[in-house]
Parts: sequence; structure tokens; C-alpha cells
Amino acid sequence: MLESLREPLGEAFFVRALTAVVMSGITCACLGAYVVLRRMAFVSTALTHSILPGVVAAMLLGFSPYLGALGAALLTAAGAAWLASRRDTSEDSAVGVMLSVMFAAGIALMQQANSWRDFAGLLFGSVVSVGPEDLLVIGLTAAVVLTGLRLLHKELELASFDEEYAQLLGARPGLMRVVLLALVALGAVSCVRLVGALLTTALFVIPAATGVLLGRTLPQVMAWGSACAVAGGVVGLYLSYYFPAVPSGAGIVLCCALPYLAARLIAPRR
Amino acid sequence: MFALLPTLPYAPSEKAGCGGIAIRATNLTARARADGPVAFQDASFEIPCGCRAALIGPNGSGKSTLLRVLAGLTRAESGTVFIGDATPRTGRRRIAYLSQRPHLTAYFPLRLRRLVQMGTYAHHGWLEECFHGDQAVDLALERMGLTELSDRPVHTLSGGQLQRGLIARAIVQGAEILLLDEPYAALDQSSREIIDRFLFSQGQHFTVLMATHDPADLARFDRILELRNHAVTTRRACDGHGHHHA
Repeated sequence: MLESLREPLGEAFFVRALTAVVMSGITCACLGAYVVLRRMAFVSTALTHSILPGVVAAMLLGFSPYLGALGAALLTAAGAAWLASRRDTSEDSAVGVMLSVMFAAGIALMQQANSWRDFAGLLFGSVVSVGPEDLLVIGLTAAVVLTGLRLLHKELELASFDEEYAQLLGARPGLMRVVLLALVALGAVSCVRLVGALLTTALFVIPAATGVLLGRTLPQVMAWGSACAVAGGVVGLYLSYYFPAVPSGAGIVLCCALPYLAARLIAPRR
Repeated sequence: MFALLPTLPYAPSEKAGCGGIAIRATNLTARARADGPVAFQDASFEIPCGCRAALIGPNGSGKSTLLRVLAGLTRAESGTVFIGDATPRTGRRRIAYLSQRPHLTAYFPLRLRRLVQMGTYAHHGWLEECFHGDQAVDLALERMGLTELSDRPVHTLSGGQLQRGLIARAIVQGAEILLLDEPYAALDQSSREIIDRFLFSQGQHFTVLMATHDPADLARFDRILELRNHAVTTRRACDGHGHHHA
């Protein structure tokens, strides 16, 4: 048993994947606490899906896919905010429009490349192909996101819980929302390598939703969420190592869903 | 590490204390929503420091809008508001505003103690975490009869307990002006008594403006503002209890 846990650790690619999963898992779970509590799951889905055209464009034009992804996610956030700035357009539909437009643009761009196979990793993730540069990007994003969350903890908590009071005190709830969207875009970029554009949103929502069931304070929610994401990520990785039929991205997400299900069944109703 | 960071205040610094007039509104015109009808027009009134003022008027007459304008949450179309010698934006930490139905995020993981502690944020800037002020929080919880509930998640509190918690937050904030939008709307008797005792006891150094529907209530107020047909009329002289904060 112990041997089978230790065996994959001899492989450099597995260790890299493990490190990436732990860092991204914690980043997304902490951000996800706000995503879930503020009911931003749909926005986060849009941001993560809209990465697609950015990465494809970057591959076609030959610049860093991370820059492409970040640009596309920020463009989506800005576009949705602009569309929703009219009184007769709800934010929900604005986000829906941006999500579909960006995803369609991504598919159209993929067609230009004439080879869909190259993009399977982009859509579904390929954590085993994480290289040292990827690890660096993921580590940097994790540092930026977690430092941002720590420094702005009181402002983000206040603006998320009681927007009116935040406004009254001058803590700029509108600005906090933009900051949060930017951080989600950053977090999404760091995850796309692991679980793919289609499933990244799961890392924001599932662990944090588990945390919300178990935690009584915001830091507790983040801690439970991180634990769930790390556990799910590690188990998912081992699963796909020993059962290659299970793609790593899907394995990670499915394993994150198990603690959620357990929490849903045992957490006391509040 | 955090001590090294520059701390920026949320609001510009201002002189503390209330000398004479707590709230002065001049020719105020505002709408509840930018594309809605005018709520009141050219409203001018004064509320002296330490005054307990009631704001009355029929449903939909614009009481809530007036309170929101005074709190700086809704922008007035024209006219000026002074909170002491500051505008609502610069004098914001002096004001506490309680809306009729607080828009709090449902099921947010927050204990009552943390909610009350948020009052201290008024005196902190960006990036600063506050680890002190526990004594003030304890005192405020005690005054509102909430000591036993301080570790309860906010979403398990009753409407009255929550309302008291929000007033405790205003106490911790050290607000000099309390703008209350029908605070008794959904309160049980015991919550009401606790809030009454706090608002109307002698020697309290703050100014109150409370929207109310209860005519029997009015005897207790020093000043009555009536909002009717888009205009504000003032009744009763309030001598004011000119006071200064340390």
C-alpha cells in the first residue's frame, strides 16, 4: 500500500503535477469561498471558459498562452461589466452573452489551426505535462492571489457580507468586486493546465461549497475548502496514475466532489 | 509585516466633535432611482446635535431616500448636506445608517461578534487588520443584551437580535449620528425595549433621525420632520444638547 503511494513520487512529472495541484487547489478554494458566498459561480464559469480563445490565439501567434488566457479572461470581465452597465441588461445575461461569444470565438480559432488534437489538453487539462515554467506561473499566481486575499481580507469580507455598510464606510464595494474578478481571472489561468478550460470552474465552486457547509467563519470556510481541494487533487492524481483510463482533470474534479457529497450528508443543517 | 505597509484611510481625516448643528440640509432634491420620480424637492432643515428627531410621512413619500441621501448612499440631484462641518462622504465615519431591511448576504459565515467588530473598520484604513477593540465590542454587545449570543452565526439570529447587533456595530463605530429607517418594523417587544432604552436614555451623546410610522411614538421626539408632497416641514424646537466628543 505504502509502496504504491511512494512509487509515483519517483517520477519527476508526478511530483510537478502534485505540487501544481496543491498550489492551485489552495488558491482556487480560497478565492472560491467568495465566489460561492457572493453567488458568482456563473461569472467564474464565464471567466474560465473564455480563456479558450486567448490561449488558442496565443498558440497561433506564438506568444505565451498564459498571457493570452489572462487577456481573454480580463476582456470577458470587462465586457460583461460594460454590457451590464445598462439598466435594462441584467448581469446574468451580460455574462451569458460574453461566455458564449468568447467560447464560440475560441472554437472558430481552433478551426484555423486545423488540428483539434492539440487543444484537447486545453479543454480537458493535462496535469502530467506540467513543466517547470508552468510551475513557476502557478506558484506566482498563487502568491499574488493569496497575498491579495490576505491584505484585503477585511475589505473583501465586509463588501461581500454587507455591501451597504462597506459603501457607507468608504471601503469601495464596487472596486472590491473588480479586484475579486481580476483575482478569479488570475486563478483560472493557473488552473487551466490542470483540469482544462471546461472544468476549471469546478475547482472554484466544489471545494468552497464544501467549506461553506463545514466552516463557521470565512477563514474556516477557506481552510476546509483548501483541505478538500488538496485531498481531492492528490487522490485524483493517484487515481489517474494507476488507472490511465481516467483523465487526470476529470479524476481531480470527481475526487473533489466526494468530500462535498460527504459534507452534504453529514454537516448539520443550519 | 503589516506594520510596514502604508495605511490609507477610507475617508479623508476630519475634525471630530459636533458643534451646534449635526445635520444641515439645504435645498435638497433627490430621487430614489435615477429614472424614478422626484422624492422631495428643495428640502431644507436642520437637526441640532443631541436631538432625537422623527421622520414621518406616508408610505412612498421618500423617507428612506432622504435617510440614504443623508448617509451618502444615494446622491442628491441638487442641494447640499452637511454632517457637522463635513459632507456625508468625508464625515462618513460619524454616521451609522440602519436600513429597514438590511441587505446582508444570506448564510455568510460570520459570527455576531465579528459583525459588531466591523464597526471598528471606520477607524482603520485599507490593508489594516484590526486585532484590538475587543473591549468596545464586549461593551456594545452587553448594552444590546447580546453577550450570550456573541458566538452565534449571524444567519441564525432573529430579526430583532440582528437589528440590535447592527446597533451594537454603530456603537463600536462611535457614530455620532444614527439614521434609522423604521427600526421597529419587525421587532418583538424585548428587542424594542432594549433599543428604546439605548436611544432615549439621558446623557447619550448622539443625534438620532428615525423614520417611523407609529403616531403614539412621536411624544418622545424633540423634533419632527414631516415629508409630504415632496416637501419637508419641521415641527418642534429642539434646543440641542451641544456636546463635544473627546
